[in-house]
Amino acid sequence: MTMSALARDGVRTAGTSARRPLRITLRRFARRVAFWFAVAVIVSPAILVFLWMLSLSLKNELANLTYPPVFIPDPPTFANYIQVFSQNAMGLYFRNSLVVSGCATLLALIVGIPAGYGIARLQASRTLVLILIARMTPALSFLIPLFTVFQFLGLNNTLTALVITHLVITVPIVVYVMAGYFETLPRELEEAALIDGGSIISTLRYVALPLARPGIVVATILAFIFSWNNFVFGAVLAGRATRTLPAAVYNVLTFEQLAWGPLAAAAIVVTLPVLLLTIFIQKEIVAGLTHGGVKGA
Amino acid sequence: MTTSAVTTALTVPRAAFLRRRRRSYRLLTVPALIVVAGVIVFPWLFTLYMSAFDWKIGEAARFVGLANYTGLATNQRFIEAIVHTFYFTLLAVVFPLLLGTAAALIFHREFRGRGFLRAIFTLPMMATPVAVALVWTMMFHPQQGVLNYLLSLVGLPPSLWVYSPTWVIPSLVIVEVWHWTPLVMLIVLGGLAALPTEPYESARLDGASEWQLLRYITLPLIMPFIVVAAVIRTIDAVKAFDTIYVISSGGPGTASETINLYLYLQAFAFYNIGNASAVVVVFFAIIVALALLLLHVRQRARWSA
Amino acid sequence: MHDQTPPEMADASRRRLLQAGAGAAALSLLPGVAIRSADAQGAFDWKRFKGQKIEVFLVKSPRGDLLTKYHKEFEDMTGIEVGSEMIPEQQQRQKAVIEFNSGNPSFDVIALSYHVQKRQFAKNNWLTDLRPYISDASMASPELDFADFAKGGLNYAVEPDGRVMSLPMNLDPWVVYYNKELFAAKGIAYPKTFAEMIDAAAKLNDPGKGVSGFVGRGLKNANVPVWTSFLLGYGGGFIDAKGKLTTDTPEAIEAAKMYQTLLGKYGPQGVAGYNWNESQTLFLQGKAAMWLDGIGFAQPLEDPTKSRIVGKVGYGVMPTGPKQQVSALFGDGEGIASNSKKKGPAWYYLQWASNKSNQTRMLQAAAGAPVRNSAYAAAQQSSDFKAPKEWVDCMLKSAAIAQPGLPVISPVTEFRDVFGVALTNMLNGADPAAELRKATADFQPVLDKSEKA
Repeated sequence: MTMSALARDGVRTAGTSARRPLRITLRRFARRVAFWFAVAVIVSPAILVFLWMLSLSLKNELANLTYPPVFIPDPPTFANYIQVFSQNAMGLYFRNSLVVSGCATLLALIVGIPAGYGIARLQASRTLVLILIARMTPALSFLIPLFTVFQFLGLNNTLTALVITHLVITVPIVVYVMAGYFETLPRELEEAALIDGGSIISTLRYVALPLARPGIVVATILAFIFSWNNFVFGAVLAGRATRTLPAAVYNVLTFEQLAWGPLAAAAIVVTLPVLLLTIFIQKEIVAGLTHGGVKGA
Repeated sequence: MTTSAVTTALTVPRAAFLRRRRRSYRLLTVPALIVVAGVIVFPWLFTLYMSAFDWKIGEAARFVGLANYTGLATNQRFIEAIVHTFYFTLLAVVFPLLLGTAAALIFHREFRGRGFLRAIFTLPMMATPVAVALVWTMMFHPQQGVLNYLLSLVGLPPSLWVYSPTWVIPSLVIVEVWHWTPLVMLIVLGGLAALPTEPYESARLDGASEWQLLRYITLPLIMPFIVVAAVIRTIDAVKAFDTIYVISSGGPGTASETINLYLYLQAFAFYNIGNASAVVVVFFAIIVALALLLLHVRQRARWSA
Repeated sequence: MHDQTPPEMADASRRRLLQAGAGAAALSLLPGVAIRSADAQGAFDWKRFKGQKIEVFLVKSPRGDLLTKYHKEFEDMTGIEVGSEMIPEQQQRQKAVIEFNSGNPSFDVIALSYHVQKRQFAKNNWLTDLRPYISDASMASPELDFADFAKGGLNYAVEPDGRVMSLPMNLDPWVVYYNKELFAAKGIAYPKTFAEMIDAAAKLNDPGKGVSGFVGRGLKNANVPVWTSFLLGYGGGFIDAKGKLTTDTPEAIEAAKMYQTLLGKYGPQGVAGYNWNESQTLFLQGKAAMWLDGIGFAQPLEDPTKSRIVGKVGYGVMPTGPKQQVSALFGDGEGIASNSKKKGPAWYYLQWASNKSNQTRMLQAAAGAPVRNSAYAAAQQSSDFKAPKEWVDCMLKSAAIAQPGLPVISPVTEFRDVFGVALTNMLNGADPAAELRKATADFQPVLDKSEKA
């Protein structure tokens, strides 16, 4: 073993006692066990709650309400899912959520990426704070004034109104992430491009943008997910045909009984898309955030 | 040419060049600012205007000036709401910071299955809050819930969780911690990934222990990231709504009624728009004060890093 | 199929409706309410508004589900297309207010809960006065027979000044569900008075076995009807003739003490957070001896896939209080938005929704307690009947002694909130008298302001 390898293990290199290898092995073993224990402790709450959700959704009411709780459904039943889908137009709500969050994210990217770039290069932290104010304002305070305006413009209960409202969520996220990201990009390439006679826009487009791809991915995903998960706006502003998924989930709360099975099934249906998205894209998210995406923010 | 002339020849066009550049950068920010202005400024003006009135939907509006604000200052329920908000926020920021940083340190090391486990760990953050809150409500049930069952397995007595005025806020914090620790972890992980390796090598050669490395090198270097996470967490925790609304709706009684819950009650249950607008203004002032405080701390951390 | 009421009798019953309710005296003095005979105006025709479309805004409930299921029947019968929306109660109420306030609601027909929204809707004139339609024989279906409607329902539908703002759909008197098996095991009979009820709860309370003597709503806002049920039995009321709250009188305090004892001492752990669904769940599991709540929640109790106590459920009328035996009453109805442009077709919908078939269906599915008396006879003769006879008996007896369980004021939600918080605090040991006094002092200004405006 090399000196540095031993040094990595934090072990002093002096001494040649025969007992040392055993102690080293034991210590390393103990540390490894401790490490894996820590991993288990950290990760298990995350997965266990989702597994419990799944279990609840696959059992009928009687089984769900027994105590001690039953973990493995026996027999498993899809009745809850069938009920959720047959009593609610899940396909429609899914489409609505997709349209609203998709458009809100797209628009946020169109205005947010240039804004993030401008703010980063100007080092205008005050403008950043201004945009953060959007993030800081409680969502409820937007609702009544916006509702009145939409009503006046005849946009009530439309998807357009929802998209506009969701911009409140997506634009600050995109601007914040992109500003942080652009700040960490070295300026030399841009300086070179500018000296060569390029305009700011073209510099942004051909030089900065390709380099910022990881940051863009992060911004897109975060903006989309937070918009998708939004409950309050969809619940108050949407109409029958334009409701989004989270608002629809709350409607599954039937009048006659707190039906645990269908509720869990609805919860799974709503969260599954974003969970799958997360699993497949998590590498990108981590890559984007760990390349100093938020370092300068 | 003299040096000054050369300098002048170089600086004057350069200054103009820089000015033009700054203007272009500024132009780039305009579309976003228009969006922000349109969707946010109007409601804000409306809110400020309405806060000077006493208006309930269905009744006539009456101008009362600052009466709503003085009313809030002496309103015991509102003051309790502020206390609850701070209590909740404190817990909901500190614990995710601690656990998230620990998780980041763990996930910074290479180990088998890291990518997969990291993905699982990130899931709670992405799950729809409303949906998950409904599930947590079921888990918190004193008689039928699985959490009390788990407690009984380890020999602890069952708890009232969110049905007890004393424990409702800590119980809600558990949900928040579960939900948002991954976000803290990701931010801090970003910081860890950007760490230079030189200080570590030289420190190890000097015989420093893992603990000393952590305390004197790692932590100070990632402090800016921890502060960023703290800012984001604080703003989100102060505004927390979906989770609390679904699980306890501010109860039992008013034990978990935060400012945001109180606002919802005033605006959408009592239709007391005038008073609700005043609450929004006060609420916002509190958030801004907290954010400024934390940003100030962040600036200091940045310079000393 | 269903009885056709001859036109003359229909006239007479319509007249009776218009005279029903508190505003009877005032009503008879009002000019302009004329009953025209059917012949003069032309016969009633279901297809009169064929081709039009209306929007209906319902609350998510078994009754809403039922109506939605049969919307096609209405569409076929009238040629009117129905677009309907059904969302949970709280959201529906909020949306209703927001939409009405904007002056241009997106719906024509709306379902309302009388105990919460009646005064608010009436004061703001958000609903259409139905009297012109009732008195117009050409618009009134032959089946519209107000003698068939229960008195409680008509009381709800008519304003003190005589306006008829809606048609009642169902009534929800409060009853005591009790677990016959638990009672029999200890040899206790169903209590007839308040004192007996407390005694029974004490005897049946068995924390060792996980059984509670009593369960009811402890959650703020939702829990107020539990207290008012007791309050009415003690002879108390909500507001006196001068507009002053009577919620801190000795009767109110006694009722609150009873609430504190039954729920706090003989209720389950964590009852302070229980709404109707948690209470129902506990009762379904056989873990509570008595459950006080609305009669409309009975359906899952007899469903083997949901309930562990099928066949063991007793339906008891509210026991007699020291002063009187009263069952707290709540009700729902449907009205037409005052800004609606489709009032004719909407009126047809109201009549269809409250017709004998739908009311009978409601009873058969145990989806609610219909407001038309004929539905009970009709349902019991049919083989589809799912609700046990005991439930129907209990319903009829309770309706006979029913009084509104909440004050008919505009800020009902705030009333429920202020007093609900006080009640929940009592469950955690606060003094009932002090809490009620504080709540009364807090709420009086709100009430004064709302009545003035």
